[in-house]
Amino acid sequence: MRGSGKRRFAALSLTLLGSAALAAPACGTTRPITLTFYSSGDVNVHHLWASDLLPMYAKICSQVHIRLVFSTHGTADQLTLDRLAAAKQAGKPSGVDLWESGLLLEAGQSGLLRKLSPAAISNLKRVNPEVFASYGGYGVPYRGSSVVLAYNSNHIAHPPRTLSGLERWIQAHPGKFTYNPPNTGGSGDAFVQAVLEQFLQPAESKAFFTGYAPQLEAQWKPGWHELIKLGKDMYQGGFYPQGNVGVLQALGRGSIWMAPVWSDMSLSYLAQGLLPSSIKLEQLQPPFYGGSAYIGIPKDSAHPQAAEAFLNWLLTPGPQAVVVHQMHGYPGVEWKYVPSSVQRKFAAIAENYGVGFSPKFDADMAQKWSQKVAGSH
Amino acid sequence: MTTLQAGARTQQEKRPIRAQLTGLLLVAPPIALLALLVAWPAVSAISFSLGLIPGNNLLFSQGLHLIRSDHPTFQVYKALWGQPAFRADLALTVGVALWSTLSICVLAYALALYTHFHRHRLATLLRSLYLVPMFVPVVIASYGLLLFFEGRGWLGSLIAQLGAPYRSPIFHQGGVVLGQVWQGIPFGVLLLGAGLEQIAPELLDAARDCGANIWTLLGRVILPLNWTGLLIVATFTFIGGMGSFTIPFLLGPNAPQLLAVEMNNYFGSFDQPQPAVAMAVLTFLIASLAGGLYVFATYRQRKL
Repeated sequence: MRGSGKRRFAALSLTLLGSAALAAPACGTTRPITLTFYSSGDVNVHHLWASDLLPMYAKICSQVHIRLVFSTHGTADQLTLDRLAAAKQAGKPSGVDLWESGLLLEAGQSGLLRKLSPAAISNLKRVNPEVFASYGGYGVPYRGSSVVLAYNSNHIAHPPRTLSGLERWIQAHPGKFTYNPPNTGGSGDAFVQAVLEQFLQPAESKAFFTGYAPQLEAQWKPGWHELIKLGKDMYQGGFYPQGNVGVLQALGRGSIWMAPVWSDMSLSYLAQGLLPSSIKLEQLQPPFYGGSAYIGIPKDSAHPQAAEAFLNWLLTPGPQAVVVHQMHGYPGVEWKYVPSSVQRKFAAIAENYGVGFSPKFDADMAQKWSQKVAGSH
Repeated sequence: MTTLQAGARTQQEKRPIRAQLTGLLLVAPPIALLALLVAWPAVSAISFSLGLIPGNNLLFSQGLHLIRSDHPTFQVYKALWGQPAFRADLALTVGVALWSTLSICVLAYALALYTHFHRHRLATLLRSLYLVPMFVPVVIASYGLLLFFEGRGWLGSLIAQLGAPYRSPIFHQGGVVLGQVWQGIPFGVLLLGAGLEQIAPELLDAARDCGANIWTLLGRVILPLNWTGLLIVATFTFIGGMGSFTIPFLLGPNAPQLLAVEMNNYFGSFDQPQPAVAMAVLTFLIASLAGGLYVFATYRQRKL
């Protein structure tokens, strides 16, 4: 009771002081409005929004009510895309003001999303430009995660620091390394991409990250040979567990000693004791790719300024610290913009991550892997 | 009098029409639902797999490596058939479906016969045990099989204690068949058992009195009378095996994979809805062949 009274008083005093000009850029509106936010992910993402970030924002911008519509595991993402497309066709508002999804690039290219820029969302200047560009500027990356190398320190004192060092290690320790099929999770996907990437023609390699030209895939050939060659030195002579979790479990059981893993998943597994503390993480040079969660604004949103203000706030130190601590995630902004205490805590992996192949190249890579590498023995 | 009779007659004539209409109205909703949710998507899927790409379906029209055509073409199927990986998937799927059908028919028949003709305690125990898989969700059961049969699982550890070599069926074709058998046994035994109940005991007694042994009894009396039941079990097990997803997803090999898992990969991960839909059409065709065989056989039996 007292809390809500105080909040109302705070809001009242702001308007009474005539600070509408001050409140408007911070919250994007002075009158009470409702933003509908479609989000998706695992239960931890739901928790992040419902219990942490949205209540935090309600304290700052009490006139902005954010209605969360959550799709567990993103199963309704395609429906949301269809809904936006249908609304555009019918010339009616979709009712979506904010959308967190992996489909933002597709939606943006179909003309369904606003182009975002640092002019309207000033904190975008703190975001790694490559990470922002990889979604075509249609989404704000507010939290990230990177694939890193996990190793069992009981058996390994000096883990390899480079990819070629890792490949030598795998061949010297048959059966002690594996990764998941690329289509079942990003950690294996990142390893496969790293192996292919080292053979790309430098002049054209940029195209793999931003565009799509299937004829360039011929450059993957030496990479496939390398992966097929490594196959017999994998766990059980060539077994690839299903998904990121399958790999973490093999690591936890002690069946394997080293594997590529997602930073956020393995950090929370370590925190929960699902991985023994002998498992350590480090990043290779050049780093494995990472990924970010992006939020975009549909073109037909009735409150674009308020939506932009919310996204700008997400990139400020307060919510970014929540992301790092609660989600064990990488910040959406570059590491240099988070407090040095946080930087020290994640010293072994606190680096900018690499960028993944564009979604279409990635899809082709997963298919070719399953035909060439998984089916090779 | 005559007008009254005439009125009664027309009323009598009207009633069947009204009844017919009511009947039609009653079946209309399920048929409309079927047409909307099954028939229409099936038609649009088939035309998509023939190269006709609908402009208003983002999911279809934005896929990778689409084969576009103004007129129906079999290019998509040709391209699929050209891939050794697809042929391996198809062979594995049909192989798994056939092996699990055969195993389930033999095992379920043996169980049904045993529990039908024996009334002692072991048979009673078996009667409740074979139903267990029905009450265990398939995901849980698959995970249980995984833990039990995996290389470092229960069975492996036990055999290792005895110093014998152990080659786990998990992540191979055998693992998938194992899962299918586990899942299919209750349905098979229940259906075959119900068929056995229908056979008059007098027939069996008469045959026995004429000196028939158990094999003659089985081959000349029981099987011919229970033929439809066996056919139903075989057909449904085969169709179920063709479309099985959860069991091969959890227990199957990395490659080749069962078609349902591969369809899911193509549709989701590889962003290639067209080959995925073509695989679905092919699976449906193979399954309907099995269905057709069943309809033909039961129709013939009814005529006999």
